[in-house]
Amino acid sequence: MSEQNSKNQRLLGLFPLNWRFDLASLPGVRWLLKQRWFPMIVILINMFIFIVILMSGIMGGFSSGNYSFGIMFVWILWWVLLMMLLVPVLSRTWCMMCPLPSFGEWLQRLRIFGVNNKLGGLNLKWPRRLSNMWVMNFLFLGTTFFSGFFTVKPLVTFYLLGGIIVMGIVLSLIFEKRSFCLYVCPVSGFQGLYANMAMTEIRVKDPNICAKHKKKTCETGNKKGYGCPWLLEPHSLKRNTYCGMCLECFKTCPFDNMAFNIRPPGTDLLVNEKRGLDEAWKSFIMIAIAIMFYVAMMGPWGWIKDWVRGNTLTGWLKFISVHTAFALVIIPGIFFVFSFLSKLFSGSKEVRLKAVFVNLSYCLIPMGLASWIAFSFGFLLPNGSYILHILSDPFALGWDLFGTANIPWTPVATGWLVPLQFITLFAGYLVAADYGYKLSLQTYTDPAAAKRGFIPLLVLLTLVVIAFGWLYGG
Amino acid sequence: MSKTIIKTIISAVLVLACTIGPIVAALAYESSRTRDLTAEILARAPEKGNYSPRFVTVAFGQKVKLRVRNIDTVTHGFAIPALEVDAGEIKAGQYAVLEFTPEKPGKYDFYCTTWCSEFHLQMRGILEVTAR
Ligand code: SF4
Ligand SMILES: [Cu+2]
Repeated sequence: MSEQNSKNQRLLGLFPLNWRFDLASLPGVRWLLKQRWFPMIVILINMFIFIVILMSGIMGGFSSGNYSFGIMFVWILWWVLLMMLLVPVLSRTWCMMCPLPSFGEWLQRLRIFGVNNKLGGLNLKWPRRLSNMWVMNFLFLGTTFFSGFFTVKPLVTFYLLGGIIVMGIVLSLIFEKRSFCLYVCPVSGFQGLYANMAMTEIRVKDPNICAKHKKKTCETGNKKGYGCPWLLEPHSLKRNTYCGMCLECFKTCPFDNMAFNIRPPGTDLLVNEKRGLDEAWKSFIMIAIAIMFYVAMMGPWGWIKDWVRGNTLTGWLKFISVHTAFALVIIPGIFFVFSFLSKLFSGSKEVRLKAVFVNLSYCLIPMGLASWIAFSFGFLLPNGSYILHILSDPFALGWDLFGTANIPWTPVATGWLVPLQFITLFAGYLVAADYGYKLSLQTYTDPAAAKRGFIPLLVLLTLVVIAFGWLYGG
Repeated sequence: MSKTIIKTIISAVLVLACTIGPIVAALAYESSRTRDLTAEILARAPEKGNYSPRFVTVAFGQKVKLRVRNIDTVTHGFAIPALEVDAGEIKAGQYAVLEFTPEKPGKYDFYCTTWCSEFHLQMRGILEVTAR
């Protein structure tokens, strides 16, 4: 049913949602995606960079944030790239080239480039009750408790990344395949959620070919590659959320039936598969964190900064409690009220309130992503020039590898900052409202009820965008 | 057979180059760069660790090359007035290299020249010039 009414839908009334273009149909691309050394070679390059980041955490200036390679690379470059480019455009392409779980994966496979489908380790199944976003939700929220230290103390970034790596190794030895990436990695959850917005996807070209292919080598693996390390069924993939884009299915499919599609942004928001409260809460948490980061880092309130930076223990504990309550209770509570109103307005009796709440929460994804992109501009433009400095002197030892160590701090185009942020927020608002209506239609099915049910949602989205605009515009 | 061996060697080399590689390279580069340093002094506000080390010994009549590295979040300074050595301001994350030849044995105070914290006045140490 939902499939049908999404057939001829258009994004903002313009772009047909079922439009696709398979990048792998371009000459050379499929060849590249099928090579065993790809993307492993990119992972190795990133491993090099992450080793340098880890080293800078223990070698370089211990407390001078702006001159720390680790801090600048992780929080200015990596994070900003993730939010502005990798996730919104390229889905989970970061996971394609992520070095963090590689040691664990190599230990399972005892191969680096080659194929060995008899995986080592205990290979336990990840508990079903935890096969969702909750662990990641709490870990991610927990990580932000230390946000006041990440950008000032390189050592904290070292512990964070080091912790992820160690956890990845341990869990890879206990649980099968990429269980760690699927259900634990703190960087994973928001990528999974926001990848629904992405403009790329890996999908099957022709489902009929899969239907006839009894062996399903994309699941089981063969000589050419591993069975899906992300425990999916590539032949019936519908959503980006849990696809780490490792490209194994391109290698294992004997019929070249996998496609790397370009698509209109956000089409996965309408796919009703594995939707649930875990993902709704991920949305709430992401929005709460975007607000909190902004307030703490760019806002004028010194006392909040003191709390977040942990100048006193009680202040820090206050911050943790307020922040947690805000993310887990207050924002969801507000959304609950508006979901309730939506159901009320729609007049629908059959639809359950929980379904309304969960379904409609997916329109917060474009809004949340836009607020993160807007926030990232505020990071990138003023601080981007530090990158040149730290490239030349990664460990703050007085090196000048590329002759750029003494480039002074030059904020770029800061006059454009607020306009850019406004445009981003407004675009996010439009897309959110558009998908909000489509989700309402999907939920209530009757167009008249959907229109009425959409009104409270539109009011909420408008309030949210005004709040962000007020926050960012000062 | 030999093909798999070559492949194994290539993967091993690549992995080592991307993991141990940067560590070895950085340490080697840094030690070659600092071979002629007499000492490196880290600068932090007193409550965050002060100068470290705070006591440095050098031989008289020999050229001394000190590197003072500010690993703090605030600006510090470094001066040995009795030897007319002054690095001026050293900003957070920056460093200064000082070269001089002490002519007389003795104990000389060095201290921070920028008001860096409420304990700024305690930010000091001693350079001892020995007669040999
Ligand atoms: S889930 Fe985390 S560790 Fe796994 S590939 Fe993605 S970012 Fe890396
Ligand atoms: Cu000082």
